Amino acid sequence: MDIFSDLIMGLSIAITPINLLYLLIGAAIGMIVGVIPGFGPSAGLAILLPMTFGMDPIGAIMMLAAIYYGAMYGGTITSILLNTPGESATVASTFDGFPLAKNGRAGPALVMQAVASFVGGTVGVILITLLAPMFAQVSRSFGPPEYFLLALMGMLTLIVMIGENWRLGIVSALIGFALGTVGVDLETGQGRYTFGSAELIGGIYFIPIAIGLFGLGELFYAFYQGLHRTGTGGIVNYDNEERFWPTRLDWMSTRMTMARQSVLGFVVGVIPGAGATIASLMAYSTERSLSKNPENFGKGEMAGLVAPETANNAASSGAMIPLLTLGIPGSASTAVLLAAFLLWGLRPGPLFMEQNPELAWGLIASMYLGNMALLAISIFAIPLFVQIIKVPYRILGPTVVVVCALGTFSVNASFVELYIMFAAGIAGFFMRLYGFSAAALVLALVLGPLAEEALRQTLAISRGSFAIFVERPASLWIIAVTVVLVVCLPLLNRFGAKAQAARKSGV
Amino acid sequence: MRLTFLLVVLAGAIFYTYIAFVDLSFMTRSGRLGPGFFPRIVGVIAVIFIAWSVFDAMRDRSARGLGGTGSNWSDVFVLISLAIGYAVLLRLFGGFIATVLYLAIALSILNRGRHVQNGILALTIPGGVYLLFDKLLNANMPPAVFDLPF
Repeated sequence: MDIFSDLIMGLSIAITPINLLYLLIGAAIGMIVGVIPGFGPSAGLAILLPMTFGMDPIGAIMMLAAIYYGAMYGGTITSILLNTPGESATVASTFDGFPLAKNGRAGPALVMQAVASFVGGTVGVILITLLAPMFAQVSRSFGPPEYFLLALMGMLTLIVMIGENWRLGIVSALIGFALGTVGVDLETGQGRYTFGSAELIGGIYFIPIAIGLFGLGELFYAFYQGLHRTGTGGIVNYDNEERFWPTRLDWMSTRMTMARQSVLGFVVGVIPGAGATIASLMAYSTERSLSKNPENFGKGEMAGLVAPETANNAASSGAMIPLLTLGIPGSASTAVLLAAFLLWGLRPGPLFMEQNPELAWGLIASMYLGNMALLAISIFAIPLFVQIIKVPYRILGPTVVVVCALGTFSVNASFVELYIMFAAGIAGFFMRLYGFSAAALVLALVLGPLAEEALRQTLAISRGSFAIFVERPASLWIIAVTVVLVVCLPLLNRFGAKAQAARKSGV
Repeated sequence: MRLTFLLVVLAGAIFYTYIAFVDLSFMTRSGRLGPGFFPRIVGVIAVIFIAWSVFDAMRDRSARGLGGTGSNWSDVFVLISLAIGYAVLLRLFGGFIATVLYLAIALSILNRGRHVQNGILALTIPGGVYLLFDKLLNANMPPAVFDLPF
């Protein structure tokens, strides 16, 4: 009953004309970000975060969250029409989405992906509504040792998911930790790595690094891949199709797929580091093994499109649980969202929902509305997004550079931060090229100062003894869960890789 | 190229670790952990892992970035150079003028032959961005060292 009244309160906050406007703008921008190949929600959030500074916190957080989950909707349009995923979480949607379009069923595929995304996203938000207060309750007993272990868990799970380049993932995370130590040490007041610069006393700000790595780095990499030359010549034209809407068989054959993949996607999303990409690949693979017609997968099977779409949207909702209740982001996108919360003076964690009920429940309520808005936008504004796909990268590229630069400068009016952003962009390109992980770096940059503070507090409490980590039941539980995840997640990763390999070989 | 990048990262890690050991104390006078505690751990682990990666890269010299062609490298180089040039222009001429100049130059190189389209974009995009940042969001735009007289 408490949850219900909290949700009603959240709806009353979310449903104001200005907040609804921010929500719609965020949803539309999220879809646009998702549509542009090479740009995921992390890039979109990082680039657009400075633009929310003039807004009130609730509207800004609602808009940023809408960009985050809206990108999942948009990414699939290019997967279906162009066989090019807008971002990694929609790779699995190309497996059957593009064959459907080539078979003259692009319209039904686009509608079904929107419905599947809506179902996945909405079931995810329902599960957040039910489970987030419970998670917050459990985590209230956590102290510095548990927070240090949680930060470590977030980093370790992300690194093991990187796969064969795990060593470079660790190096990326260590670079993030190192950047996080720049500035005055709050406990002793001593400067670290400031080299006499007044601009560095406060530390290296998160925004220029995130914008540089995700915005410019990805842009340079897209040019390296030649996206500015390939254009969108292979786009499937769906205007001449006789039947735009899905058939009764499409609905009936995929309803159980939507139900089970919503839950699976949500569970995978809650695990730090796993995320929407793994959820979508797992969903595709499990659905194929459960199907009566596995041989049709990869040739235009509707369930093969619906499964990953449902799962990746449910996973992006699931990832909000550790963010809101523990203050621990599980992915680069939620790390940027955490940075947004911190910028507004809000500290997500066990007490967040109790101390900021308007914001927490306003955000959750807005996600219900956002998913509804995205369902409508993704069905009725498809022609508009097709036009956006057609904007060539050679025009998009310089424009993105402008938005990144002016967005970075607008935060603190600092030229040093502007130069840091450009440097991070160049470094980000080489990191992407040589197998480093920008996500691990950004996550470590956010978690590093929290982890250091928690570790020092822990060792002060225990008078230097590391035994404290195994003496507290909550710490022991976190260690046990971390060990299980570190062992099991690579298996999930392999599961996803197998699904991709099987699809490529046409088995 | 990969090896060069790894060596640059290794040099940075060694420098970071050196400062952690030389300038930052491990413990405070009161016996608590000092500002050098975390950087020393991070630095040492980083040096070990990067050195390991460098060793692997030296053993497998064929391990290089895949997917790009020679001409794509040149396009990336052009885009990076343009971005650096834009940073300089922003310092000298401020947000609006620098953006007009940057887009005019960038589009004339990347979107060759479409002079009218490039001209329109070089004026409308900065105009739109200026309205969005300066007027709508009331955000900071880079000031100019050399401002226009009007």
